[in-house]
Amino acid sequence: MADDLLIPDDDEGCTVALEELLAASGLGHEEVIELVQFGVFRCAQHAPVWTFHVRTVRLARRAARLRDDFGLNVSGMALALTYLERIEALEGRLRELESQLPR
Amino acid sequence: MKFKDYYASLGVERDASAEEIKKAYRKLARKYHPDVAKEEGAEERFKEISEAYQTLSDPEKRQAYDDLGRHGPGEEFHPSPEWETRFSRGGGSQQEVDLADLFERMGFGGGGFSGFGGGFGGGTGGPRRPGADFPIRGQDVEVATELTLEQAAQGTEVSFSLSVPVLGADGRVQKQSRSGRIRVPRGVVEGERLRVPGKGGDGIAGGAPGDLYLEVRLAPHPRFKAVGHDLYLELPIAPWEAALGAEISVPSLDGPVAVNLKPGMRSGQKLRLAGKGLPHRRDGAGDLYGVIQIVLPETIGEREQALYRELAEASAFHPRHHLEGPPTDG
Repeated sequence: MADDLLIPDDDEGCTVALEELLAASGLGHEEVIELVQFGVFRCAQHAPVWTFHVRTVRLARRAARLRDDFGLNVSGMALALTYLERIEALEGRLRELESQLPR
Repeated sequence: MKFKDYYASLGVERDASAEEIKKAYRKLARKYHPDVAKEEGAEERFKEISEAYQTLSDPEKRQAYDDLGRHGPGEEFHPSPEWETRFSRGGGSQQEVDLADLFERMGFGGGGFSGFGGGFGGGTGGPRRPGADFPIRGQDVEVATELTLEQAAQGTEVSFSLSVPVLGADGRVQKQSRSGRIRVPRGVVEGERLRVPGKGGDGIAGGAPGDLYLEVRLAPHPRFKAVGHDLYLELPIAPWEAALGAEISVPSLDGPVAVNLKPGMRSGQKLRLAGKGLPHRRDGAGDLYGVIQIVLPETIGEREQALYRELAEASAFHPRHHLEGPPTDG
C-alpha cells in the first residue's frame, strides 16, 4: 500500500446499501430500521432497496459504540444521538458567533 | 511485555466485587467516552478503561490476570510457563505483544467491549477471534490530518502511516505498518471524514476488508476563521472610514479584494463578500465575512486631538441617550 494514491469516495453523491451499513457499523438490521423510524437515520432510498447517505456510516458506528459501551437499547441510542447532534450543531453555532467577536 | 494495572485504571481495589467494577467502569466511561467527552486525552483514557474492564469483567480473564501477579505499572514482565500452559492458546513467542493482545487472543468469551481503538491510527472492530471459520469484516481504520485553509480550498495529497492488526500464519494477531497517500479533494471542511472503501484492515476467513477514514482538521489560520465553508475575518477600520465610507482592500484566500465601505458602518457589522469563502466540492463557494471593528490608534497627536475636540463641539450625537432616566420596559 506504500505510495499508493488513494482516492476517497465522493461523499456528496455516495450512498451505501443497508447490508454495507450493517457490516460497517456492527448494528443489527432491526436496530437500523428502528433508528430510521426514530428519525435519527435518514434514508437516501426507502424499502424495498434501502440505501443511506455515506455519512450515516459514521452515525451508525457511533450508535454501535454507545450501545456496546453503555449498554443502551435503541431508544437510548436514538436519544443520545439526537442530543449529540444537537450539541454539535450548537458548538458549530458557538464557533460561528465566536468568529464574529473581536479577539 | 509491560505490565498494566487494570485495577488502578478503574480506580478499584484488587478485591473489588464484579458489581463495583461495573459501577466504576460506567462512571468512567460516561466521563471519558470519545463520543461524549471533549477534553484532551479522553480517548486514550477511555481505551485504558475499556481494556481494563474487558479483562476484569470476565471472571476467567480476571482470574488469569490476577495469576500474573503484581507488578509495577510499566514494569517489564513475562508470564510464567505454567501460566502460558493454563491460559494461553497456541504456542510461539510472546514478544511484540502487549497485555491487551494477550487477553484478546485467549479466546475467552467476548465482553461488551466495542473496541473503540486508538481512533487515529487505531480503529474499531477488528480481528477478535483468531482462527474463526466464519468471515469477519476487516477493521475500519481512521487517520487524522491537519490541513491549511489554502490546502482545503485547493485540494491536496496527504501521506499517512498507521498500524493495522492482521492475522499471522500462526493464527495470532500481529500489528502491520502501512503507509500511503490520500487525495483530498478541494472543498473539505473542518471535521469532515473521507472514506476510502476497502483500504482498512484485512478481512478474516473471506470477510471483506474494512474501510479507511481520513478525518480532516483545519489548522488555525492567522487571518481567517472557517465555519463550514464560510470564512470570517476581523476587519479594523478607522472612525473616519466608518463615518465617511472608504474604498479599502480586504484580503481573501485568492488575494486582496477592493471593497467600497458605505458611510455609517458600525462595529460588529458584517461585510459579506459572496463566493470568497472555501469552495464547495463541485460548484460555488462559501462567503467571506469581514466583521467590522472600529479602532483608534493607541496614541493620537495634538492636531488629531484638536480635530476631535472640534468634532465633539460640532456634533449633537449623544450615544448614551437611551441610558438616561429610569429604565423602561421593552
